[in-house]
Amino acid sequence: MKRHHGVVRITHWINAIALTIMIGSGLRIFNAYPAFARRGETFCCYPFERVPIPANLTFGGWLAGARNWHFAMMWVLVVNGLVYLGFIYLHGEWRDLVPRRGIFRDALEMVRFYLNQRKDHPRQGKHNALQRLAYFSMPIVGIVAVVTGIAIWKPVELSPLTTLLGGYVWARYWHFLAMVALVALTIGHVFMVFTVDPYSLQSMITGGYREDLSPEARNARPFVHLLPNPKPES
Amino acid sequence: MSGHRDSHRAERLGIDRRRFLEASAGAAGALFLAACDSMGPKSAAKLLKFAEAKNETLERVLLRHSSMDVPRAGAKAAGGSFPSYFVSRHVPVWDETARGAWRLEVGGMVKAPLSLSLTDLAALPRIGYKLDHFCVEGWTAVATRTGVRLREIAKLAGVDPAAKYVDFQSFDDDYHESWDVESAMHPQTLIVYAQDGHYLNAAWGAPARVYSPTKLGYKNTKYLTRIMFMPVRNGGYWSDRGYEWYGGV
Repeated sequence: MKRHHGVVRITHWINAIALTIMIGSGLRIFNAYPAFARRGETFCCYPFERVPIPANLTFGGWLAGARNWHFAMMWVLVVNGLVYLGFIYLHGEWRDLVPRRGIFRDALEMVRFYLNQRKDHPRQGKHNALQRLAYFSMPIVGIVAVVTGIAIWKPVELSPLTTLLGGYVWARYWHFLAMVALVALTIGHVFMVFTVDPYSLQSMITGGYREDLSPEARNARPFVHLLPNPKPES
Repeated sequence: MSGHRDSHRAERLGIDRRRFLEASAGAAGALFLAACDSMGPKSAAKLLKFAEAKNETLERVLLRHSSMDVPRAGAKAAGGSFPSYFVSRHVPVWDETARGAWRLEVGGMVKAPLSLSLTDLAALPRIGYKLDHFCVEGWTAVATRTGVRLREIAKLAGVDPAAKYVDFQSFDDDYHESWDVESAMHPQTLIVYAQDGHYLNAAWGAPARVYSPTKLGYKNTKYLTRIMFMPVRNGGYWSDRGYEWYGGV
């Protein structure tokens, strides 16, 4: 059966590429001044002040190159994000993603299952409760990243926005934290795809998905029951 | 029953093949990532230039002479922590014996070219602002800048309305940066000769520099010698080397 609409699949992969370039170039920009404090001040909340990000995690080659990529790719990210959000709103997919009553209880059950505290995979629809939380937060963190990014791009021309976020120094910090959250969500997402539901890769490429290979059908935890269930001999 | 199981296996094989292809795609992606810290594909240069031009259009729309920089309440002045920056090998100092007294030339598309001494500058309507400095590297610093609004000087010189660009030239080697005239006429665009209540020292661009919070640090030429009003843009030291020409804040 079809699991993901073409628009969702295309925007997913465009997002993956755009986000990778945004994060890589953003880290290269950060390396030009890997700190948050205003000159002559100290900053409370960043323990790695003056420690650059390893260069091979960055993109753009040098500050100007990274800035040029960052300020070009931001449009791809924003337009692609708007297409995705507009589509899931009009087409109804948002219903599979917004938190429902009891989402945290259900998420806790998923965590218990993954930690072997529970034998059977909780019942789920298209996504389990942890996935719903992750896929719901991703666009929200994305919006935070974009808004804080605009605030540090134009701290004078759009100073009300920058002031609202606590001024340039704090807006830059929120921008950085949004990036950390996006990276954390992405790492969790990719880890779970490969260790729990590698069959879902197909659903994000061709759209097709086999329910009999779903994690629920396989009772799959990370690294456990990765292979399809052998049908019991009758 | 067994027929069903056979087709099932075949389907599974099909999936394996697909998964192999997907894994290869993943490996290609990893290779792409391994090419990091690169400038990216050369073919992208045109697209990046295109994006920069579009961004400039938007930045020009956003520029308001009424949007003023006001440093955050409680922000400490950087004082001695204010970085010093120049492109010459040594701190540029105006050599009076070789070049005569320093003067600021205002020329190009003007009715009355000016040649201002430091005393002349100091005699013009003085204005001081506590301002943020936004460096392209991402740091900020607060300092009080004292000087003359460039729009006052432009009025004195009688700038031709057809002059759409201004070039700020210096004696720091070949350092210069050209601007759009709208940013140059912003009320917080100053020809600065004092910082934090003292005449500029050599490390901060003495005898005079341009400073505007509407432009990134590198657009604000120090060690100023000449302000040229022009019909066309004239690039700049860093904008010719890949940084955005507009560099708006």
